[in-house]
Amino acid sequence: MPPSPCLRSFSRLSLDASTHNFLAPRLLHPRVACFSTSTARPAAAPKKKGSTAAPKKGVKSLNTKKGKKSPGGDAGKRPAQGDRKALRKRIVLSNDNALEVSSLTDLDKANVLSDANEGKVMGLPAEKVVDALRAVDAFKTTQGWSLFRRPAVLMRKEAMQLASLFREVEDSATGPQKRTIRRILSGERMSGKSTLLLQGMSMAFLRDWFVISLPEAQDIVNAHTDYAPLPNSQPMQYTQDTYTANLLQQMLKSNVTFFESAKLTTTPDLPLPLPAKARLADLVALGMANPEASWPVFVALWNELSQPGRPPILLAVDGLSHIMRHSAYMSAEVKPIHAHDLTLIRHFVDHLSGQKKLPNGGLVLGATSQSNAPTSPALDFCIEVAQARQKTSDNVPQWNPYKNVDVRVMDALKDLNSDSKDFDVIKVGGLSKEEARSIMEYYAESGMLRHQVNEGFVSEKWSLAGMGNIGELEKVSVRLRL
Amino acid sequence: MTSRELSRSLWKAVDALGSRSRPQCERTVWRAQQSFQPRISRCISTTAARYAEATEQETWEPFAAAPPIEFDSSGDGGKKDSKNMMRTLRVVPASPSYFSAKPTFTDDFLSLSALLRTVATLPVIPPAEAPKVAWKTIDQYRIMTNEPVKTARYHKMLHILRRLNCIHPSLVPDEVVQAMLRYKKPNQPGDIKPTPGVIDELGRSKGVGRRKTSSAVAWLVEGEGEVLVNGKSLSQFFGRLHHRESAVWALKATHRLDKYNLFALVQGGGLTGQAEAMTLAVAKSLLVHEPALKPALRRAGCVTRDPRKVERKKAGHVKARKMPTWVKR
Repeated sequence: MPPSPCLRSFSRLSLDASTHNFLAPRLLHPRVACFSTSTARPAAAPKKKGSTAAPKKGVKSLNTKKGKKSPGGDAGKRPAQGDRKALRKRIVLSNDNALEVSSLTDLDKANVLSDANEGKVMGLPAEKVVDALRAVDAFKTTQGWSLFRRPAVLMRKEAMQLASLFREVEDSATGPQKRTIRRILSGERMSGKSTLLLQGMSMAFLRDWFVISLPEAQDIVNAHTDYAPLPNSQPMQYTQDTYTANLLQQMLKSNVTFFESAKLTTTPDLPLPLPAKARLADLVALGMANPEASWPVFVALWNELSQPGRPPILLAVDGLSHIMRHSAYMSAEVKPIHAHDLTLIRHFVDHLSGQKKLPNGGLVLGATSQSNAPTSPALDFCIEVAQARQKTSDNVPQWNPYKNVDVRVMDALKDLNSDSKDFDVIKVGGLSKEEARSIMEYYAESGMLRHQVNEGFVSEKWSLAGMGNIGELEKVSVRLRL
Repeated sequence: MTSRELSRSLWKAVDALGSRSRPQCERTVWRAQQSFQPRISRCISTTAARYAEATEQETWEPFAAAPPIEFDSSGDGGKKDSKNMMRTLRVVPASPSYFSAKPTFTDDFLSLSALLRTVATLPVIPPAEAPKVAWKTIDQYRIMTNEPVKTARYHKMLHILRRLNCIHPSLVPDEVVQAMLRYKKPNQPGDIKPTPGVIDELGRSKGVGRRKTSSAVAWLVEGEGEVLVNGKSLSQFFGRLHHRESAVWALKATHRLDKYNLFALVQGGGLTGQAEAMTLAVAKSLLVHEPALKPALRRAGCVTRDPRKVERKKAGHVKARKMPTWVKR
């Protein structure tokens, strides 16, 4: 260890001119990083403006830009990095200018599944549901939440169908045979599929279910997150560590009440040591902190959830057609990886197809999309078949034998072509006129629709919105106000 | 006639009383009848205008042509006689307007004026309610008469014809009908009557509409406002709200949107053309159900076919009208 005066003098030793004129006051010296051996150079003086010689008279210049002071691009301030994306992805759930709707009642644990609120607009309770839904990214930017004072949903016919499914599952929870009900939500563009999925999630949150939601299937398969082969898997599967860690975080944030009390009952097989007397939340936190262990943590969590006495589970995914085709990932042989070979998606699809049952009962929901949907002929065909079977079972469309068939998707969805009640398609269609009237009255009470809501007005907007398509109805009556 | 004479003499009496400021409005009735006579009102004159008493001038009476010249009757008189006769002969033309520049037109005009004078007392209907007649254009009339008729003159004649057309239809004399026939176009507007639409056994009415290069067929049944275009819902087929509104505009403007279900097949052109073709098609099929809505639909602008199409490109032009830019060399 050299003596400290030496170190001090060494630190002052900077090889610029400042060392030579000691007499100058120290503050005037340019600050130079210690230990740097390069000489300090002052920044170049700013160029004088207008120093270039004026063009000669009578000589044509080639500059065709007229009246522009700074030819080197606009001087506007650019948003900082990430600002634009943050603005694009921002979820606004309240509008201070909208009026408070006095008649709006909140959903709660008692009334969320009751048939009495069919056709009513119900508020989502702020602290229990809205925060959880925010945590799982259930709100989308394209939905009109930012138009109203606080989030509220219309309990439409399809939502009541969902509620009855929830009741069926809960009724079977007491018996020995726990039910797993699987549904695909399909319908026109803007008909409210994602919102129906959100309604299902809010029901699950209110009924203290465990919710695992893949908010956007595209994010899993579009090769924007890292992936790694899962060791000892045959055929080869791929884990997505960062995505899984993020998913664990979402699960932890959204299922707060469950994680508060849940204890670890098994001894999970993890690559990382778990502290003694760990709770389930600690297990998840371990997976969040160590993305490389996130998949084993997810498996361990799933094992925990499979133990008897745990709540029923809601598995939800939005954008189903993304996971019913090849993903954008490449294998080591530079072949595209099928989406079903990604562990997270495989986990979901196994439960959707009925290959695995939810041990404590539950619901598997998948929503299709019409605006962001790659072609997935097998999925489209299966949905078509299921809808045809709902009408009559004798006039079912046949697969065109000259088309390439994605066998894995067909296998996963083959239950749609059987008589099982557990797997079906919920057709999200247009609202009835009563439902349309109810939601338009809500718009009017919020002050966003300035028109008397009478029968003629409702039926006119109902027709213009393509027979009660709720997204179009909102567009026609609230957004395009003239 | 007698009544007219009576009224005129009454007016004369009133005139004689010297009421300078005559109530003009009361006079309009018979002044309108008189206005066809050539009347010169000089603004410089300060005297009260008086109307000629003798309206039935003798000159208007049917003109008798001179008898044909019999050259042979005095043939025995020899050459000298015939020569003398030829010298003294005056050929009188058949028409008194023979020596005018436009004899046929003058004859037509005079005969129509005379006819109007005879029928002027018949009750009339407002011009808006008179039967629609397509009169011959000035060009057609010029070709018919082979005379260089001036436009203003012809319009004066059309004025008389329109006045004749305003006679109450149940009282029109046959001679007026015959006289007007000469000035009518061969094809009249109401000649071609479209076959009225029918509601078929399923309660549908059909209408066809076109616009730009699109064509639409629409079927209307009674219902509650459902719309299908080419098997898709309205919002799926037309993304723009404006197009949706113009597609069902005929129903919306008449407050029938929730009374009917609409099915349409549209093809050709773009979305705007398809939407506006649907406007026409829906309006036509609505008229089958409710013909009384025609004025309302016309006011809403749904009845008339817009005949505009893309103008063709011409040789030497960049587009239909645009010329290439001028280059110095």
